[in-house]
Amino acid sequence: MRTARSAGTRAFVALAVALSCGPARAHLNSTGMGPIYDGLTHFLMSPEDLVPALALALLAGLRGAAYGRRALFTLPAAWLLGILCGLAVTTTSTTTLGPAIWFLVLGGLVLADAKLSLRAMTTLAVLLGLVHGYFNGTGMGLSAPSIIAALGLAAAVFVLVVLVAALVVTLRAHWARIAVRVGGSWIAASGLLMLGWSIRGS
Amino acid sequence: MNRFRCSACWLLTVLAVLLVAIPAAMAHESRPAYLEIQETAPGQYTLLWRTPMMAGRRLPVVLRVPDGIRGLREPVVQSLSDSILERRWIDAGPQGLAGKRIEFPGLQFTITDALVRVELLDGRTMQMIARPSQPWVEIAASQPWWQVMGTYTVEGVRHILFGADHLLFVLGLLLLVKDGWMLVKTITAFTIAHSITLAIATFGYASAPALPLNAAIALSILFLGPEIVRSWRGETSFTIRHPWVVAFAFGLLHGFGFATALTDAGLPRGDLPLALLSFNIGVEIGQLAFVALILALARSFQVLEIHWPRWVQVLPGYTVGALGAFWTLQRVALLVGALR
Repeated sequence: MRTARSAGTRAFVALAVALSCGPARAHLNSTGMGPIYDGLTHFLMSPEDLVPALALALLAGLRGAAYGRRALFTLPAAWLLGILCGLAVTTTSTTTLGPAIWFLVLGGLVLADAKLSLRAMTTLAVLLGLVHGYFNGTGMGLSAPSIIAALGLAAAVFVLVVLVAALVVTLRAHWARIAVRVGGSWIAASGLLMLGWSIRGS
Repeated sequence: MNRFRCSACWLLTVLAVLLVAIPAAMAHESRPAYLEIQETAPGQYTLLWRTPMMAGRRLPVVLRVPDGIRGLREPVVQSLSDSILERRWIDAGPQGLAGKRIEFPGLQFTITDALVRVELLDGRTMQMIARPSQPWVEIAASQPWWQVMGTYTVEGVRHILFGADHLLFVLGLLLLVKDGWMLVKTITAFTIAHSITLAIATFGYASAPALPLNAAIALSILFLGPEIVRSWRGETSFTIRHPWVVAFAFGLLHGFGFATALTDAGLPRGDLPLALLSFNIGVEIGQLAFVALILALARSFQVLEIHWPRWVQVLPGYTVGALGAFWTLQRVALLVGALR
């Protein structure tokens, strides 16, 4: 039963990723504090990047320390790899469909407190990192500052996942875990709104 | 606890190394440009525009005044050892500069800011900062005190977060301390010490020349490296037993460094108290946020049961020492070069 559910989740995620178009996250804003801070602040100031990473950290935290460890090493590495792949690409696109699907999927999984296998969660983390990293990288241009900004961004992802996953792991009270799942429902609801907005816009 | 703190420091050390790897991101090498606008008669102003020299070249930022303003006489340009001063005399008409925008083309391609001070005939003064993300300022009809405070608080936070050497010193202290109470004492001692010299230097009661000061700050970081290794080996020393004393002593030096960020801008003394207080608050906010982040990471690594390999655990200590040595050599070389 659990295997079937995991397979179903993986299939749904694969479909969601296949459907997702590239969100617009190219061209880092200058903070005036150097490329590493540009990368850091870009991640922290971009809800379409921040919220799915947050949702994945919540999900990993709900499942325990082993999941948290896996997410904290997998997600930033995949994100960095995605950025490096996207650096050479100069085209960008502007749709909210991709982030909306990620919001829905990850928020839904947190809401359901889904008993994902470690492998399924790792797959999710890799896909999320690669897709978002790739679209972060597009349009940045292949240059030394871009690579440093990519490292800053990956470091921000790492820090977020460590802090959030560890915080959720420490939650023992039933109501606290319910609160995390309510957070997941808000993320899913936001995804639903974005999806509607995206479809209406197109 | 200490091992996990080491692990947490590892990530931040990597970030610090990255910061250092950016040539333009060297601490104290991001001196801002400075513009002083003084109203001498209704609608008439004297402009003092100072752009720092970096590695022998002028900061590539120009001053653009609003359209419709005429020069009263030819600008005067004066080259100093560390900056270029330009003085202009303008007539902005009966409306003056109120509500008008002063632009700094080129600032968006730099990593520094332009500080702007405006003195009006009615006694009002304004202080603003143009940044690469917004390379212009607008002369408002008035600027309340809380806006000045906000500006310099943000500047203080930016300075501590951008000053890789200050952060690395704090990181070194964190690696040395063994318990929570000692951490509180050490950070408090560092805060008190740098606040003292920041105030003294900003008010002009004492000063430290930039080149020896920067070399001494680098030396303070280098000093911590061997002490951290000694602490890991279970050995003891005065620094390990009383890190707060070392934090206080070197904090005095770092305070002069913080003061450089204000005084290099050429800020006039009259308006300094509020700016100084706000800047110091900003520095403390940035510093405490950094310490809190390290402690939170250490705790998180513990919760997630992450067991770092030995070489990762010792990396932060060696990085503190290695970067301290590198900066010391680099800055001493600059000092020797300047003395010749």
